[in-house]
This record gives sequence, C-alpha cells and structure tokens, in this order.
Amino acid sequence: MTTTIAEFFEGDLAPLVRRMADRPRGEGGDTDDDRRETRAMVWEGLTGLGALDDGDAAGLAELLGSVLYQGPLLDTLTARELFPDADLGHAPVALAAGSYSGQDETITARCDFVGFADEVEHFAVVGGDRSALVRAGHPSITTRRHEETGRGELHRVDFTDTPVTTWAGPVDWAPARVRQAAYLVGLAQAAIDHAVGYAKTRRQFGRAIGANQALSFRLAEMSMRVDAARLLVHDRDAAAHAAATLAEAADLARTVTVQTMQIHGAAGMRSDDDAQLYYRRAAAESVRLPQPQE
Amino acid sequence: MTPVFTPEQEGFREKVCALLCEDVVRAEIAQSRRTPYGEESGLLDVHRRLGKLGWLAINWPERYGGSGATIVEKAIVTEEMIRHGVPENVHSLGVDIVGNAINLMGTDEQKERYLPGLARGETTANVLFSEPDVGSDLGSLATRAEPDGDGHRLTGRKIYNMKAQHSDFALCAARTSTGPVDYAGITLFLVPLHTLGTVIEPVWNLSEERFDLITLDGIRIGREDVLGEVDDGWQVLNRVLPFERTGLDHSAKAERTLAALREHAPPGSGERLARLETRVRAARLLAWRCIANLHEGKPDEIHSATAKWYTSETAKEVSVAAVELLGPRALLDARDPDAIADGVFDAAFREAPGLTLAQGSSEIMLYFVATSKLGLPS
Repeated sequence: MTTTIAEFFEGDLAPLVRRMADRPRGEGGDTDDDRRETRAMVWEGLTGLGALDDGDAAGLAELLGSVLYQGPLLDTLTARELFPDADLGHAPVALAAGSYSGQDETITARCDFVGFADEVEHFAVVGGDRSALVRAGHPSITTRRHEETGRGELHRVDFTDTPVTTWAGPVDWAPARVRQAAYLVGLAQAAIDHAVGYAKTRRQFGRAIGANQALSFRLAEMSMRVDAARLLVHDRDAAAHAAATLAEAADLARTVTVQTMQIHGAAGMRSDDDAQLYYRRAAAESVRLPQPQE
Repeated sequence: MTPVFTPEQEGFREKVCALLCEDVVRAEIAQSRRTPYGEESGLLDVHRRLGKLGWLAINWPERYGGSGATIVEKAIVTEEMIRHGVPENVHSLGVDIVGNAINLMGTDEQKERYLPGLARGETTANVLFSEPDVGSDLGSLATRAEPDGDGHRLTGRKIYNMKAQHSDFALCAARTSTGPVDYAGITLFLVPLHTLGTVIEPVWNLSEERFDLITLDGIRIGREDVLGEVDDGWQVLNRVLPFERTGLDHSAKAERTLAALREHAPPGSGERLARLETRVRAARLLAWRCIANLHEGKPDEIHSATAKWYTSETAKEVSVAAVELLGPRALLDARDPDAIADGVFDAAFREAPGLTLAQGSSEIMLYFVATSKLGLPS
C-alpha cells in the first residue's frame, strides 16, 4: 500500500505537497485558500488509498517525511489507536496536548502547538490520565494560529466546557514516537538528497563543490547515520525503544538540515529553495511530540 | 587572555549600557522585532542617538563623525549593541565594513563625502561582492567595469545583499582586467544604489532581513569613486578583512541567545548549558584576541580565521540547542503574543545558517587554517 501512496506523491504533486502548509510572510505566492485546497485534496487521496489502515505505519510515516507532508494524518493514526471504538470514518483528528480539567461530560483546557486545528473534525485532548475526544467546530472552542519558525499550521486551542464525545485512558506514546521518528528519517533523507544534488552541480574554484572531501565526507557520514536510524525505526523492537529512537531521529534531522543549509550557501536561505524549508520543518517536527519526562 | 579594560573603558561600557537600557530604547528595539515581514526597518533612533554622541563609529576621527577613540571602544559599542538586541546588521555593513574600508583606504575626499553620514547613523552602505554564480570564489566574479573616459561603466548582477533597499551606496567588486591570477584585476568601486541603471529586487529568505538582487546596467562611476587603486581591490580586501573577521558580533550573539536560554531552560539542562557556556566564553576570548591584535596594529590572519569559524559555529550551536532544550516554545516568533524572550530563539535559529556563510564561510576558514597554520598541502 505504501508503494501506491509513493506513486501518488510522484511528479507534479511533490512540490505542491512540500509547501502546502507553508505560509510565506510578506512575499506573495499562493493564498491560504490555495494551500488549504491542496491539503484537502491530499487528505482525500491518502485516505482513499488506505493510509488510515496501512499495516506499515512506519513505512508510511517515512514516506510522508520524505515529501515533507504537512497534515493531520499522523495525529489521526494516534487518535484512532486511542479511541478504537469511536466511529471516526475517514475524519481528520488533531492531538491537543495540555493540562485540562474535565467533568464527566465537558472539558476545559488550553493546548498549544495543535496541528491543523481549523480543518480537523475532532480533537483528541491528551496529556492527563484520561483522554477526551471532542468534536471540532463547537462554539466553546477557539483557535489562534501561532507565528513560529515552521510557518506552518500550529495553533493554540482553548476548550471551555466543551462537550466530550468519548473518554479513553492515557495515550500510549510509543507507536506515535516511532512514526514521528520515521517521519524525521524520511525528512533527513530528502534533505540529504537535496544537498547532494546541489553539491554535484554548484561549481566554485573550477569544480563541483561536492568534489571537496570536506563536503562529500560530511554528506557520506550523514547518509550512513540516516541508514542506521532507518533500521531503528523499522526494527520489530522499535516500540520498546521509542523515546530514544525519536531522540536520535530528532537530533539527526536537525543536524542534517543544518548541514544542508551550509552546503547550499546563501542560495539555501532563499524562500524559493527547499533547503530552508527542510531546516525549518526539521526544527518544528523534531519537537512536535511531548518530550518524555523520565 | 581575558581582555583587560582600563577604568575609562569600563566606565564607557557602563554609559553605553545605560543608554541601551533606557525604556524608550528597549521599546524601540522590541517594536522593531515585531515589524511585519516585508516592512522591516533600516536604521533606528538608537543608531542616530549613538551617532550624535560620536559613539557609532567611535574609532573614526572627529572630523568624520567619530570620537578619535580606539578599536577597543568601537568593539565595546558593538558588543553592547548586540547584547542588548539592537538590530545591528545595517550598522555593521555601513560602519564596520564599508565605512571602515573607506576610513582605512579611502581618499580624503571619499572620507569627507561618505563617513560623516554613516557615523551619525543617518546613511547606510552595502557590500556588493556575491553574484548568482559566485560566492566563496570571489576571484571568478563576472561583473565587469569597462573604461569610459576617466571612469568606468559597471555591468553585472549582485545578490544576497542584505537590506540593500535601505542602503544609500555600496562597495562593489568588479573585474577591470583579466590575467593569469584570478584575484588580480578586481577593483572596488563606491557606487550609488538608487540611480538610473541600478535595479533592486527583493530576494525573500529565511532570516529576518531581506536580501536583494541588484542589477547594474552600465552605470557610470567616476575615477574618484574607486577605493584604492584600479586592479588592486584584492589588496584593499586583505587590509580590511581582519576588521570584519574578529568574530565579536558572533560571540555577542551567542551570549545573548545563551543568556535567554539559561533563563528559560527546563530543569536538567545544567550540563548542556555548562558546555555551551564554556564554548561561548572561549568564543569571546578569541574575538577579543583579534581586537587586541588590531589595537596593537598586528592583525593575525590565523587568529581571524579561528575566531570567525569558532564564534559563528558556536552561535549556531547555541541556536539549535535552544530548540532541542526548550521544545516548541523556542519556535515562537517575536510577532506571536506568547513568544518567550521577545522571540530571540526563533530569530537566532533563522539567522544561524547565515553566520557560518557570510564574511567567509566556515569551509574557507578551515581551508585557510589547514594550509596556512598546519602547513597541509593545498
């Protein structure tokens, strides 16, 4: 199934997907409506191809990272594990983490860094001993988009006596962490591919910059680290080491994207170059899930 | 190696700090960081106030708007401006790079014409070196300067010029002759930026500050606007570069980000913070060693390369570590109402990649140290 989804992302769709949740600031480009439309189309495509029931969730997450997919799919997978009996259909769900106070029927909470809050159909409010599923769009819910490095769709969401549809226990973060680690492995690989492409073609001092071992060895080293991390996320014991694996993948994604920027020089800082996109997205995605407290 | 300052210099630092800590100055700095994207400011009132006091270019002669002080006092001003969060890139381009080059290598007429405005914080200048196909390899630049009477006509494209839309003039490198050595035959010109034949277009980018693409379409530059001698630009650059590559700006940036990180880091970050703190202290020592060299009139290229590499890499490391230690809170932009530390972490993270690229990339510094210090084959 992952192969079919990989085919879905090939060709003209890839550059649109990479920027479908990137809001340029003060510099024109596609409107928010254009990007939202692309996200809705990609959601339809992914769910239509069975992404919500993919047996190889880590493989799917790595693929999503490699195309810099931005959307509620990974949150939705976690929510579906948390509320297996809820009738969610193909509805998108956002995880909203934060401390909350809840009665039997309602919940009050402030949650930061909630993804795609204005376009999901449900929120899974998590972070305590219990988790609550609530329907989006209720007047008791307010959202405000953060201004942040990733320029993406992260929101503050306030729930005030919001009706709860279903209660569940606490989240088991392990599968979510493995998927996030896999996403970051895919992102890191794509950033390396981007840097390698540039190092082969950009010429300074009469030769391709990639002919300099200072660069080529750095790229080779990162490529090998990604290879190792990929084995960790696809290992059958991955869930048992989820937090450590995510920490390694997060560090790797930040390191690789910092190096991708350096190799690209000032050209990589341009808004129309994907190097800075990988750099910003790696920062945001590497700290996307709550850090383990232990 | 800790720099030793005279009581007068310590007293001067306190005066600079007192000015930069005034409520009105702090408010202006905070406001400038929240300016909507695409509407960024140029020089601020704080620059003009420092200029009026003769502090902005304090090491220049009084007749050109300075105070006739030494490079040490200049470095104190720079360090405190950055520690207090004053947006300093416009100032640094105008005073520390272009103005400094004119002060060192310009004719009396050029100094009269360009320095007072820069020193007062009223005009700004830019550097036109990089081209779409030329970055580190300046010797291969393609902008041409063809003789025209007793002057030249400049044709070419320059890119990644930060905030050129606010600059009044620029120091532009162009090829005036070709020969067996790439670096010979480059001339530095002082060119107007807002004139017929010069087109400035925005190049939107990751950082807080806009880049520009500048097209020079045959603009005529008189003989009086050549800095140094024709074909001899490389000598001017070699004279000026040690002033640009002290690393002081980077060490001060690292200090500022680290101070905020120390305040906001979660429990358990102690060991990581201690290591970063040690690196930042070392960065400052390397920077001040370069300032001391310049003060004694003995610039040292290996010290400069070491300082540039170490300080910029350290500033970058602190910025990336802040994201790791603080999590998503570090990502909030100064324009978000819930930003911590005035959004310093987001701004530093987006500025970080440029630090190890501008003013000589890390790779160029490493190459120089490998060949010149260690004597490894080139």
